[in-house]
Amino acid sequence: MPKLTIDGKSVEVPAGRTLLEAAQLLGVYIPRYCYHPKLSISGNCRMCLVEVEKSPKLVTACSTEAAEGMTVLTTSERVIKARREVLEFLLINHPLDCPVCDQAGECGLQDYYMDYSRQKSRFPAADKVQRQKRRAVGPYLMLDNERCILCTRCVRFCAEVTKTSELEVMERADHSFIDLKEGKALDNEYSLNLADLCPVGAFTSRDFRFKTRVWFLKKTPTICLGCATGCEIYAQHNENTLYRLLPRPNAETNTWLCDHGRMTYKTVRAGDRLNKALIRRGLIDLEPALREAATRLDEFKDAAAVLGSPWLSAEDNAALGRLAKDGLKTDHYCFDFSAEQGIKDGILINKDSAPNTAGLKAVKSAYGGLALEDFTTLLAGGKIKTLVTEANAYGLVKAAAAAARVRLIIFALNRGEAPATAHAVLPYASYFETAGTFVNYQGLRRATAAAVEPQPGVWPLWAVVNKLASYSGAELHIDCGEAALEGINFK
Amino acid sequence: MTDNILLKNNIAGLEAYFACGGYKPLKKALGMKPAEIIEEVKKSNLRGRGGAGFPTGLKWSLVPPDALGQRYLVCNADEGEPGTFKDRELILKNPHALIEGMTIAACAIGAAHGYIYIRGEFAAETEFLNKAITEARAKGFIGKNILGSGFNFELFTHRGAGAYICGEETALLESLEGFKGQPRLKPPYPALKGLFSSPTVINNVETLAAVPSIIERGGEWYAALGTGKSGGTKLFCVSGPVNKPGVYELPLGTAFKDLLEVNCGGMKPGKVLKAVIPGGSSTPVLTAREASAVKLDYESLAAAGSMLGSGGVIIIDDTQCMVRLLQVLARFYHHESCGQCTPCREGCGWLEKILNRLEEGTASHRDIDLLYSVAEGMTGRTICALADAMALPVMSFVTKFRGEFEAHAAGRVCGK
Repeated sequence: MPKLTIDGKSVEVPAGRTLLEAAQLLGVYIPRYCYHPKLSISGNCRMCLVEVEKSPKLVTACSTEAAEGMTVLTTSERVIKARREVLEFLLINHPLDCPVCDQAGECGLQDYYMDYSRQKSRFPAADKVQRQKRRAVGPYLMLDNERCILCTRCVRFCAEVTKTSELEVMERADHSFIDLKEGKALDNEYSLNLADLCPVGAFTSRDFRFKTRVWFLKKTPTICLGCATGCEIYAQHNENTLYRLLPRPNAETNTWLCDHGRMTYKTVRAGDRLNKALIRRGLIDLEPALREAATRLDEFKDAAAVLGSPWLSAEDNAALGRLAKDGLKTDHYCFDFSAEQGIKDGILINKDSAPNTAGLKAVKSAYGGLALEDFTTLLAGGKIKTLVTEANAYGLVKAAAAAARVRLIIFALNRGEAPATAHAVLPYASYFETAGTFVNYQGLRRATAAAVEPQPGVWPLWAVVNKLASYSGAELHIDCGEAALEGINFK
Repeated sequence: MTDNILLKNNIAGLEAYFACGGYKPLKKALGMKPAEIIEEVKKSNLRGRGGAGFPTGLKWSLVPPDALGQRYLVCNADEGEPGTFKDRELILKNPHALIEGMTIAACAIGAAHGYIYIRGEFAAETEFLNKAITEARAKGFIGKNILGSGFNFELFTHRGAGAYICGEETALLESLEGFKGQPRLKPPYPALKGLFSSPTVINNVETLAAVPSIIERGGEWYAALGTGKSGGTKLFCVSGPVNKPGVYELPLGTAFKDLLEVNCGGMKPGKVLKAVIPGGSSTPVLTAREASAVKLDYESLAAAGSMLGSGGVIIIDDTQCMVRLLQVLARFYHHESCGQCTPCREGCGWLEKILNRLEEGTASHRDIDLLYSVAEGMTGRTICALADAMALPVMSFVTKFRGEFEAHAAGRVCGK
């Protein structure tokens, strides 16, 4: 374990660690563009140059291994001068179009300029090298070569993480530029990570750009429900509108976030988002809809069935369990879901597209119920008149329920996901709008956090169930998410 | 005067090479232990002739003797430094010295494969070299079980595609592996992790061609030809307005004056020496006064603030405009920068633009200081030496010939 001194502070690090990592342990920040902890070391930006005693030249902190007895200076006059000059080099051919650049506010050039430069340009604007301005490269990304600082993070991400190698640095010297290789498009399933990785405004998200200025955004730490991986994310929002999802890097699940996961926020404000209920495809306020649904349930109480959903939180499934057991007092319910789980592409995307298959095991052990196979047979048998479930879970029993002409009471976020044949479609709050407990494929139990408020008239699913039961004459007393979880034991 | 070791009259053919003792050193080397060969080369004070001047014996000894797997020997024949044309001459006049030197070097470092990475423009030279390799292979000097010793060594030529940067040894390796020629981060050094991630030694043509004589006549004999830590003879490529420009082989430590007056027959009538770039375009310029006092060896030129470099001696007479010359250099380095490191990628272009302004007469006096300051900001801050190769000449030109730059800044443009 080499012991070294950085800015007068001594630190011992495991062999093989770089000066940049050693400094990080001491809380000493060394500026960088091309360095990224999860990508190979390139050493091209020269922003992280530091002074090492007895070394005639400044060395790159990102690539130099810490050695016994090293004395490192990260704020000496030489280092500060080098940073200022490297930054000047980076800026001479940069278009300085900050007012119309969507990266403004989270731009590495702006930030370091404030920290290390603050000098007037010595380079005439007319002399700038001109490169191709913005163009779409793939479904989610815009590329502006003029803003690019050629740090090659994007090139390395595509080569090393997705292993799709779409990008390459073309040409040489100050006419170099990042471009797609011949015949390639940036359409891998992780392309939006490039917008995060890019320290400047070269790669921007086609979805997010020009929607808002980043300094207005607040961020709520939560969980992605795009699949059973359950990546940790930040939901970024302002004035009750979600704008984007960003990965929240952590050791357990994820550094990156897939494009599919990033787009899951879109359902919240999609045009067909339900803020009212539907009775036979006609929009109606929630309360009368619940009365109607309750009446239909009461009609054939012993012929009603409830199906949980791995797309719903543990709280909401538990509420459905209470509805079956204590409200409808029926044995016709099912919380039995199983799916093959595991990362299918070696990066993040799970074989199981439902976020809470593992969480339902706890609900099932608390409430019991039928096996999915038996439940399906029961539906097909024609004995069941009414089925209460969630839209995605309905997909699993669709054939049986449709054949037996079961009357459907479906919970759905969006009109598009609800079956057209449903008798009643009930809206509920998405997990960007309410907290919910989910268990990912690794068995990690985490809760989503409400980043935005649901629309007026939209309640958490457990609250809708509570009201539905009460209209049908049973008081379940589910006043909060925690109340729903009573009796559920997560191991 | 010492006899030439490298450049002899027409010994390109195998018979002629035999006539002056060719491939005898190889026989001798095959009877030696690798460590003994390296020891002999260390004693010779042979230093890298490509420009950096790293001690050759030391370089060979850095290959770990116990490393498993392949090792490679690579000859850097990507001669692209402006003002340098010695390796081409050597390949054309004495190709077997290179082949023999490579076989001996391979024997010393335990390499079974060697590559000669030759400049893309040298198409005819590659043909010529390939012919010599075929001759050598037919006689069993390369290939399997060389001269019955049990040592195997295969040699290949590989033509570059025209990038100056591929003369930088790690960029050369990238190019040889089939990638874009860009210098690698060091460490790891090629001696540990070079071609195809295996221990690799990369030497210049001239360095390798000197090896047979060292083995034949001993390291001490070779060292004594030169001076101090600079052993042996060196090829100097003289260009410019002298009576007899060309390639000359001289012992290291020869006075520049002798090279100019004795070998090259002095300046052309009516031409007066103004400045000398002593070691290829990357080395700082010397004024006529500095040059006439300097000896041509690694230490003396370093003491004079320049470098021996590749031995490309560019003679500049007093009718030449230093601003214009520097502009030409800047255009070259701007074109050839690989674009990896920020200071070089952006700085080379910036320097060229300032020089364009000076040359056009639209620059101000402040631009001269800017020129110097931009160059200063590039030095010692990049992965390879290309940025320094641009910046050092700029700083030396501006310092030593500031008057000419000021005249340009004042609007007095040469030739207009």
